[in-house]
Amino acid sequence: MAWISFLAALIPLDGLGHYLHWGVIDISVANFIVILLMIATFVAALLLPFPGRSRRKESK
Amino acid sequence: MSKSFRPDVDAPEWKGGHSPYDIIKEGTIALVVVGLLTIILATLFGSPDDHEITLKNWANATPVDFATTAINEMNGTTTTAGYGAPYNTASDGQKLGPLTLAKWAGVRIPVNTERDFVIRPLESLPYNAQLSSALTTWKSASSSQRTTWVNNYTKADAKLAYTNGQVVSTATDAGPVPVFINDLTNMARSGALDTALVSGGNFFSTDYTKPLLFLSDGSYLADLAQKQHLLGSQWGMMNETNSYPGQAWLWLYTFWYQVSPFSTSANADVQVWATMMLLSVIMFLVPVIPGLRALPRKLKVYRLIWREHYRK
Repeated sequence: MAWISFLAALIPLDGLGHYLHWGVIDISVANFIVILLMIATFVAALLLPFPGRSRRKESK
Repeated sequence: MSKSFRPDVDAPEWKGGHSPYDIIKEGTIALVVVGLLTIILATLFGSPDDHEITLKNWANATPVDFATTAINEMNGTTTTAGYGAPYNTASDGQKLGPLTLAKWAGVRIPVNTERDFVIRPLESLPYNAQLSSALTTWKSASSSQRTTWVNNYTKADAKLAYTNGQVVSTATDAGPVPVFINDLTNMARSGALDTALVSGGNFFSTDYTKPLLFLSDGSYLADLAQKQHLLGSQWGMMNETNSYPGQAWLWLYTFWYQVSPFSTSANADVQVWATMMLLSVIMFLVPVIPGLRALPRKLKVYRLIWREHYRK
């Protein structure tokens, strides 16, 4: 598991957090990135072709 | 006469072709992939457990704040002392309009702040002639006499100081109260108060209700929380310590606490809970709510997913 510790050390998270403010919204940069990744995953799930579709086409 | 056609419920049976689909295979792959991702991401981004915050930490860091909170526990002006159910009957507790929900549930975890946070812990200390005499004086005094002593000490609490290991007060005619506050502060600084307030009487007791309530009545815990952006008014419910990602999925729950009327309400906890329950019920009933149940058909996201089929 040493490689995971090495990876974790690349992203320093032990300092005080940074926050983004828009009016009433107050969100940590870390949470904002997580939400962006969730939205990106959702959009990818909609847009990426189903795996195996080309194989099924070939077998038809 | 037949009723009108409702396309979201009266859709005709599909007569076209079908494609094979192995849901067990897909479910297994999803479980394994998500499981691995969870382990790796938790290892990379899971926040480390901070050291516990104790009464000992508090009384050593800010003994005057501790002593001030202790006298407020005696005069009944702390949040815990006036909270109502489930701790006491000092107020109605959390209400939803005319519904006194907390009061109906009753006092389930009785806490008398003067008795439980001050007198009983002091009684558990090893024999000390001055403290023993002070406790005897307190027990033999009338209720009004006790109130007078506590009020006289409270009047001088703005000038409290902690010097040479002693809580110094300018209060006069405060009876045994100065001894109580001084000994309780030093008891907390030694760590003995943390042990005395953990209830249950078992070696492996895990009920930290009382020390946590006492801690939350002072400003030490709130100050630490504010630095870490963990207060309710800072969207703290979805934040973690330092720069670690937190509980982003709680955004809606904590959002309500930031906006009126919840942000200024003394009953925000139960109001936000009720709002979320209402929204949850609406989501649960989407299939039977006209208009809402037609959203998937009107938004046509399915046409994006099955775009190849609809292109034909």
